[in-house]
Amino acid sequence: MNSKKARYLSENMDWIARRDRILLNNPVIMQGMGLAPLVVAATNANNALMLSVAVLLLLTPTRVFAAVLSQMVRHRLRALLYCGVSAVLYIPVYYALRFFFDVDILLLGVYLPMLVVEPLMIKRYEHPIPEKVSKAFVKGLRTSIGYVLVLMLMGCMRELLGSAALFGTPIEKLYFPLLPMANLPAGGFILLGLVCAAWRGTVRAYKRYVHTEAKRGL
Amino acid sequence: MMEVLQAVSVFFLYAVTAVFAQNAVFSRAMGVSRLVKLLDDPTVDTLVFGGLLCLIQLLAAPLAYFANGALQTVSVWQAVRPLVFLGCSTVAFFVVLVVLLAVWGAKARPVVAVLPMATFNTAVLGLLLITTTQSFTLLETMGFALGSGVGYLLAVLVVAEGQRKLRHTQMPASLRGLPITLIYIGILALAIYGFTGHRISIG
Repeated sequence: MNSKKARYLSENMDWIARRDRILLNNPVIMQGMGLAPLVVAATNANNALMLSVAVLLLLTPTRVFAAVLSQMVRHRLRALLYCGVSAVLYIPVYYALRFFFDVDILLLGVYLPMLVVEPLMIKRYEHPIPEKVSKAFVKGLRTSIGYVLVLMLMGCMRELLGSAALFGTPIEKLYFPLLPMANLPAGGFILLGLVCAAWRGTVRAYKRYVHTEAKRGL
Repeated sequence: MMEVLQAVSVFFLYAVTAVFAQNAVFSRAMGVSRLVKLLDDPTVDTLVFGGLLCLIQLLAAPLAYFANGALQTVSVWQAVRPLVFLGCSTVAFFVVLVVLLAVWGAKARPVVAVLPMATFNTAVLGLLLITTTQSFTLLETMGFALGSGVGYLLAVLVVAEGQRKLRHTQMPASLRGLPITLIYIGILALAIYGFTGHRISIG
């Protein structure tokens, strides 16, 4: 890494990490948001894909519309506003998902409608100051991408380990499931915990590397 | 007399099932994001949160039961279900809010501050979705609602107790906080399988 870039990253690491919702400050890995669908419903890549599309269609519009309307609502009632907006937007999203995936969305059980009150969608209501619309749009997109990344990673890993397959296609070189427990919620918790630990360790190592490179440049 | 005893036994059977075998956190991961936040939030009293959650669930569950009975034949029901159940939770929210303010007045302010997060979460909406999807009777719904709230509170207390050990200084840095909490919940969930057997409770 060149020393100029390392110095810039080192000096602004906190700011960069705060803005980044994909790798350095992923909503699942760092804040523990959106865990219920991830642990129980994302047991294979297909389920993870359906959940990903649902989140992509729901999260950013919810934040944007809620940001617009929250200017007119008292702070105490903002939780209701965010959930209400999310539940109203869920109606077209549900039909879009039916169009894309047909009855397969029933495989997600109660975890699809439950997305409307996921902290991932509504947590912004806890802040006393209403969010700016442009900021809501950008943060919504970033958070969606960060969440989808972890969803797909977990879905693929759990299907590989729990069923020796990927997107329903058996992997020929894997003769038997390496970890059948990966399909269960308990396995989901444990696997996600390990992924979190590895991800956080990597982020910590990257930050340490940047600071060391910056010091070396000086 | 036998009918009353039978009704009471059904109520408690569903309540006990919801507390242990079908625990909202350990077998369905409902409200687990909120639970993880609660552990790190010294401003929220766990017992107050759990008490409010129980109240909201007990009030919203019968409303959702009747709403489901009246509307489930409507063609758009699957799409509007979250909105209707959110309406049920909102009614419960305002009932609890009015009662709190009427009884304790301004002293209820710290409790009122916790009320939105105890109302609008996956534990409450998940309960309403499960009881209606599985076509529970009103009595079964009420028993399950009570048990689910108590089960959630129990899960919070068990995980909070575990946190004291998990904060040990010899814990590797990468595992501290969320990762080890998730692994701990996973191991507790495995223990629950001793009651339910191995199956995915996607509901």
